[in-house]
Amino acid sequence: MSFREKNPQRVATAVVLRRPRTALLIAKAGLLLLALLLAGLTACAPGTHTAYVTLPTDNAVAAFRVRNVSGAFTSIVGSPYMTGASPGPIVINPAGNYAYVANRIDNTISLFRIDSSVGSLSEVMPRTTTGLDPIAMVMNTAGTLLFVANQVSSNITVYSINSGSGALSLVAGTPVSLSPSPVALAVTPSGNFLYVANSNLGSVFAFSVASSGALQLVAGSPFASGAGALALAIDPGGKFVYVANSSADTVSILSVASNGALTQVPGSPFATGTGPVSVMVSATGVYLYIANESSNNITEYSIDTTTGFATQIIGSPLSSVTAPSLIVPDPDGNYIYVLSQTSKTITAYTITSTAAATTTTGAGALISTIQSATLSTAAGGMAISK
Amino acid sequence: MTSEFRGRARFFFVRFLFLLLLTSASVARAQQVPRFDVFGGFSYLRFNALSIGYPNDVNLYGWNGSVTGYIKPKFGVAIDLSGDYGSQISAYHFMLGPQYTWRRDKSNIYVHGLIGKAQNNVSIAQPTRSGFESVGRSFGGGFGYDYHWNDRISIRVFQVDVFHSTTFAKGQNDGRASVGLVYHFGHMGHRRKL
Repeated sequence: MSFREKNPQRVATAVVLRRPRTALLIAKAGLLLLALLLAGLTACAPGTHTAYVTLPTDNAVAAFRVRNVSGAFTSIVGSPYMTGASPGPIVINPAGNYAYVANRIDNTISLFRIDSSVGSLSEVMPRTTTGLDPIAMVMNTAGTLLFVANQVSSNITVYSINSGSGALSLVAGTPVSLSPSPVALAVTPSGNFLYVANSNLGSVFAFSVASSGALQLVAGSPFASGAGALALAIDPGGKFVYVANSSADTVSILSVASNGALTQVPGSPFATGTGPVSVMVSATGVYLYIANESSNNITEYSIDTTTGFATQIIGSPLSSVTAPSLIVPDPDGNYIYVLSQTSKTITAYTITSTAAATTTTGAGALISTIQSATLSTAAGGMAISK
Repeated sequence: MTSEFRGRARFFFVRFLFLLLLTSASVARAQQVPRFDVFGGFSYLRFNALSIGYPNDVNLYGWNGSVTGYIKPKFGVAIDLSGDYGSQISAYHFMLGPQYTWRRDKSNIYVHGLIGKAQNNVSIAQPTRSGFESVGRSFGGGFGYDYHWNDRISIRVFQVDVFHSTTFAKGQNDGRASVGLVYHFGHMGHRRKL
C-alpha cells in the first residue's frame, strides 16, 4: 500500500498547502516584475542633444535626438518639418527654444519654435524676407543678433532677435553691401567682430558689431586668405580665424587684433586635402579639422594656441565618408559629425585624447565610430542644440 | 483625446465598478467555473518614448479593460483594451489572444499572449495640425494574479504585460501594469475542489 493510500488526509493537506504557496510565489514574482517596471520611474537616461539638418530637396528640416554616450541619432516624432523652398543654413539660439532656417530659393528666414520636451519644430509664421540666396547665417553668443550672408544680392543682413518671441527685426543700416559672393560668416565669442568670407576675392571682410547690430567695416578690410575662401571658423578664445580655401587646397589661419583686423600667422596658409569646404575648431581650441570634399578625407591639425601655428596630427589626413561637405562639433566636445553630400549620411567621429594617443594615432586624431544617421536627401546645413 | 472625454471615461469606469460590487453582493454561487471574465481597472504604461526622439522614456497612466471568454475551464480567449495618457503622449492598445488560467480556491493565475494594434498620439501643436498619430502592429504577452473576493468578483492584484509595437515607423517596447476588479459570469462547469 502506498503512502498516498495509507495517509490520504496528510496527502490532501500537503497539496492544499503547496498550491497556495505556489500561487504566493507567482504572486511575489509578478509583484517583483511590477516593481522592476516601476523602477523605470527613477531610471535616468544619459544626456542628449537635439540635431537639426536641413534638406533642400525636400524643403524640410529633419530633427534627431543625439545620445551623448554613443553619438547615435534617433529621428524625432513628426520629423521632417516643412520649411520654405530650399532650406540651407540653420541656427539655434543659445536658449535652445528657437531655430532659424534660411530658405535659399524663397529668400526668407523661417522661425521655428522648438518643443522643450521632445525637440520637435513648429514654424511661426510669417517668414522674414531677406536678401537673395541666403547662403550663410550666424548668431552672436548672446542670442540677440542674427547675421545673414546673401550670396546673390552680395550683402549682409542683420536682425535683432526678440528674446521672448524669437521674432526678427531688421537692424537699421543693414543690409550692408559687399563685393560679389559672400559665402560664409563667423562671429567672435565676444560678439564684437563679424567676419565674412568672399570666395571670388579669396579674402575675408571684417566688421565691428555695435550692440544695436550696426556693422562698421574694419580698417584694412578685406584681408587676403586664399583662392576660393569658402568656410570660416573662430576658436573659442576668439584669437584666430580659420579659412578653408577650396580652390587653393589650403587653410589660412589669421590672428585677430584688438580692433578686429586680421593677420596671417607664421606658416599660414597650411596644406589641406583637395577641395576643403568646411572647417571646425575643437571646443578646446587645440585641434582643427578640415573636410576635403574632393579627396574624401579630413585634414587634422593641432594648433599652438599662442602663435596659431598648425602641425598635422599623426594619422592625418583621415579617410572619411565620400564627399564630406560639413563638419559640425558636438556641444560637449565628445564627437564631431561629418555630413556627406553623396552618401547622404551623418557620421560621428571621436577625438583621440592625449592619453589614448599612439604612434600611429596622435592626440586629436579622429576615429570613425558609427554612421549616426541616413538622410533622405543631401543636407544643406546642420545645427546641434546645447 | 480631450480632457472632457477622459473625465467622462473615468465617470463610466467608476460607475461600472460600483455596479459590479452591487451585483456581486446579491449572488454567491459556489465552486463554479465562469464562462466569461470582465476586467476593468487602472493601468500604468512605461512608454518607450526614446524611440520617437524624447530624451527619456515616459510614464503614462490610464485604464485597462478586458473580456475573457472560456472555451475550456482553463483555456480562453482574451480581448484586451487599454488607454494611457501623459502630458503630450497618449497610447492605446487593442489586443486579442489566448489565455491559460490556473484556477485555485482563492485565486487565479493566468498567462496570455496578445496581438493587435497600437495607436500612439503625440500632441505637439503644428501650424496645420494639433499633433501626430500613428497606428501600427503590436504583440506581446504577460501574466496576472486574481484574488477571489467571492464567486462573482475577484481583485486583480496585478497584471503585467510587455508589448512590442511598430508606430511612427519605429519599433518600441512598452511595459504595462494593471490593477482592478474582475467580474465573473456565465457557467461552464465546476471548479475542481482541493
